[in-house]
Amino acid sequence: MPNNFAQMYGEYLRDESRQVGNAESIVFPKTEEEIISSVKEMSRKNIQITTQGARTGLAASAVPFGGHIINLSRMNKVTAAKYDKENDRFFLKVQPGLLLTELRKFLVNKSFVTSDWDEDSIEALNYMGINRWFFATDPTETSASMGGIAACNASGAKSFRYGSARDHITGLRIVLADGDLLTIKRGQYIAKGKEFIMKTESGRIIKGQLPNYQMPNVKKNTSGYYNKEGMDMLDLFIGSDGTLGIISEIEIELSKVQAACWGITIFMPSEDKAIDLVRALRKEIIVDSIDLNLQPSAIEFFSHKALEMLRNQQKTNPAFSNIQEIKESYHTAVYIEIEKDSDEEIWSEVKKLGAVINSLGGNEDETWVANNPTNLEKLHEFRHACPECVNMQIDNIKKIDKTITKLGTDMSVPDNKLKEIINIYNEDIEKNNLQAVIFGHIGDNHLHVNIIPRNIEEYEKGKELFLKWAENVSHMGGAVSAEHGVGKLKAPFLEKMYNEEEIKEMRKLKKIFDPAQLLNRGTIFAYEEGEI
Amino acid sequence: MKIVVCIKQVPGTNEVKIDPETNTIIRENVPAIINPFDTYAIEEAVRIREEIGGEVIAITMGIPGAKDMLKEAISLRIDKGILLTDRKFAGADTLATSYTLSKGIEKAGEFDLIICGKQATDGDTAQVGPSLARNLGIAYATDISKIIEIKKDSIKCLKITDDGYEEIEIKLPALITVVKEINMPKLPSIKSMKVAEKSEIEVLTFHSSGADESRTGLKGSPTQVRKTFVPVHEVKNEMIEGTAEEKATKLSEILIKLKGVD
Repeated sequence: MPNNFAQMYGEYLRDESRQVGNAESIVFPKTEEEIISSVKEMSRKNIQITTQGARTGLAASAVPFGGHIINLSRMNKVTAAKYDKENDRFFLKVQPGLLLTELRKFLVNKSFVTSDWDEDSIEALNYMGINRWFFATDPTETSASMGGIAACNASGAKSFRYGSARDHITGLRIVLADGDLLTIKRGQYIAKGKEFIMKTESGRIIKGQLPNYQMPNVKKNTSGYYNKEGMDMLDLFIGSDGTLGIISEIEIELSKVQAACWGITIFMPSEDKAIDLVRALRKEIIVDSIDLNLQPSAIEFFSHKALEMLRNQQKTNPAFSNIQEIKESYHTAVYIEIEKDSDEEIWSEVKKLGAVINSLGGNEDETWVANNPTNLEKLHEFRHACPECVNMQIDNIKKIDKTITKLGTDMSVPDNKLKEIINIYNEDIEKNNLQAVIFGHIGDNHLHVNIIPRNIEEYEKGKELFLKWAENVSHMGGAVSAEHGVGKLKAPFLEKMYNEEEIKEMRKLKKIFDPAQLLNRGTIFAYEEGEI
Repeated sequence: MKIVVCIKQVPGTNEVKIDPETNTIIRENVPAIINPFDTYAIEEAVRIREEIGGEVIAITMGIPGAKDMLKEAISLRIDKGILLTDRKFAGADTLATSYTLSKGIEKAGEFDLIICGKQATDGDTAQVGPSLARNLGIAYATDISKIIEIKKDSIKCLKITDDGYEEIEIKLPALITVVKEINMPKLPSIKSMKVAEKSEIEVLTFHSSGADESRTGLKGSPTQVRKTFVPVHEVKNEMIEGTAEEKATKLSEILIKLKGVD
């Protein structure tokens, strides 16, 4: 009874992409066995399955379009811990429904629910010692689930230093489309050239060949399957958007928290000069022979229009009154976060940064420095204010026309194309007289362009521009999705990045693991019936 | 205009732990910060100087390490820091503290306005500001949320009261204590931190302050802490079982019993 289903389980038909789908049934497994039994039943009946975590994704991966939903939110435990004494490395095994916020809470308090743990795991906790540990992937949305983070290879601001989720995942357990189980540890299955071979729990051998397409040469990429000759096969499943199997357990490696963490917002007199500063921070250019060794964890950008929007909101909206006054003279902002072993170590680099800012035509006095947790929180509020501000404006427009949704890009380009792509964005926005702000992870050349349409015509115009930009970015050797995943929403963008043959190769790869294409159908690429 | 800001170093945590043996605050492993209310005092003084010119001096009484806090105040754009430090100042209550501060301020010369935070987050007494004004023989007003106008010899401000706001005018020199509604403190810049790093802090000892020994430190403190304790927060949970109707009935009974709701 689809109608009843929508009434009772309506919230499970959508995610943060604001797309709404439909389904006929849903289960909330608490164990891996329950996932397996549900998958076996659906496989027998040939019913498609959509997997869900916390439904915070922005690309509609978790939105079902018919069939059955397996919602993993009740598998939310940390199940084991491991300490590698020799190399001082710490690992945790977590269930896919565990929220990042919960994991962070456990780690800050060094306190876990250990009633189901084995002795070795409990023993391992003793080795956390005086060190503070954290999971280095920091997506803005902290209510994301660990399964979702693995499935879309999430990253976040600090990926400039720490990379994406891929770099911190050391093992997965995956329920395949027929209910068989695959356990993969990092280093266990390495492709020989393009040939790969794996063995399931039941002893079945999975053999196959990797596609021929080349991945873009960018730091951040979640556009389609990871593919490289001689790759670790674990990487195929990370970022595969739930299309190859259902993740039932994730082993993550933790990183050590450094004693000192500072944030600095730097206001530059133009977007061009802001980009020069970013290049100096990345050590692509040396300014006045100053040897700058800040090694920031994050480098973020706020366009001129983004600052203007925040400044206007600040005057009228009490929600943003906690943010320090953005002076009229502040044109463009770059935000960096630095972690080192001591405040002194950071300060000696920040002094050099001041000189670099001055040399680039900025002013070291036009900076906000946060060198303690309270002030750092203020700069985080400033950073989060940008997307919040956009969302508030979209919500207002939605009251007039509810078909209008947020238009936000998630594309990245190679280092040497950064200025070029920002120029294209700005020219197109101006030419079409659109209201738009640009902000995000400029360190990785990964900026979010957010268009705020004032009417349906502007919305349609914006959508057209997104396709054009996907084409521009693809020509530059960039990625159409850098951190949100392709999901269902960006499948048309992927077609700008890869040709028909290459998309076919991806579909072929999926069919090795999921011959009937039951899992997350329509995600990454469109569903096509029949054999290829 | 010459403005003096009084600041205090406090533990940077909301959960102050007290040593049950000595009844003093445990400061180990807790970083010291500028009393949050004092950061509004600093900001307001700096804003006044930026508008009408003049000089802002911050003064504190504390351990030698409080020099770092005064340097931090300089990074928040005050002009000069003065530290009153001496074993003879140790163990002071609010009376002895305000007396000692008044001696330090006298040494700093003529002034027009003194700004203090409403209270310190560790002691929460809110006594030092008014007591300091009495020691200096000047007018004062507490809980100021806005400075409306500054003239050559008077200041007009808004004071928060339990019932609303009072607009008041005081003759200068005067002392005011400020609440957090008064402004939004700015963060330091790389430049202001460089200025702070190079700055020198003036140190006043017992001798150089010219204070009377019987009025400073433990000797000058009539207040004695007999006992301190951390209040116990008791939270009781009671699960109500039954149908929705039964639960609602039971809940209303409990509420009536607890609060006398009709």
